[in-house]
Amino acid sequence: MRVEYINPFVESAFNVLKEVLDADISRGELYLKATSMPVLGVAAIIGLTGDVEGRVLLDMSMQTAIMIASTMNAEEFESFDALGKATIAELANMITGQAVTKLHDLGFHFDLSPPSLITGDNMVVTDSGVEALIVPLQLPQGKLEINVAVRERS
Amino acid sequence: MRSKVDFPNINDRRPDGQKEDGSAFRVLVVDDSMFITKQITQYLTSEGFEILGTAVDGEEAVEKYKELAPRVDLVTMDITMPKLDGVAALEKILEFDKDARVVMISALGKQDLVKKALLLGAKNYIVKPLDREKVLERIRSSLK
Repeated sequence: MRVEYINPFVESAFNVLKEVLDADISRGELYLKATSMPVLGVAAIIGLTGDVEGRVLLDMSMQTAIMIASTMNAEEFESFDALGKATIAELANMITGQAVTKLHDLGFHFDLSPPSLITGDNMVVTDSGVEALIVPLQLPQGKLEINVAVRERS
Repeated sequence: MRSKVDFPNINDRRPDGQKEDGSAFRVLVVDDSMFITKQITQYLTSEGFEILGTAVDGEEAVEKYKELAPRVDLVTMDITMPKLDGVAALEKILEFDKDARVVMISALGKQDLVKKALLLGAKNYIVKPLDREKVLERIRSSLK
């Protein structure tokens, strides 16, 4: 997978999170996974289809998801309720929306699926025929990973 | 002490959500995300607007508009929604009431749809993530 596909997602995640959380965010080292990998407790998945196809996954622990939703709604959530889920789904929408604009400017055209939110313990994601690039972001609320697995349509 | 009449007080400013006669501007908020609906509702009610109704897709938006008209002063309309998208709902609302004031709410990356909505007659647009000042400013200018 080419690195230029993940950069727009990392940049827009950085910008959007900085804006909605009003906080400093630091970026960890990019790494590559070719096989199945564990997913933290809350994952927002968005599908891409067009010149490139695959999926983007934003994952974080349940605690981090609750804390991000609390900050974005300016109220303390004790559990990951319907509003919390809508908040994280919207966050994923905003991040991919910005990234797609950047990728369109680079000449890649594709559509996005609405985000699906998956929650649970001990989850594993497997992508067939494409490796995933992951960039961890460190927020005051915890770690959020941008995990992109896409390939050019053959 | 001098009378306060001598000093215009900024706290006497009429909130954005109030008409000259002191009644509230009434808004229909359309979005499939509970988070965005809540955010817009909070921003608007804090400035004295009244939320007349909410809808979660384009079909419901058109039904609600027809049901609540002519009491709706403004509609905030998400673009990407199930059943009927925001641009199609805008068209149907304008067919019903050519003077309807609709402000589009869009994620980045939907420039073509935003342009289409503005050409159709949307008054303005706001790009997510929503910022309180930006939302109020765009809505204020749409109500002029």
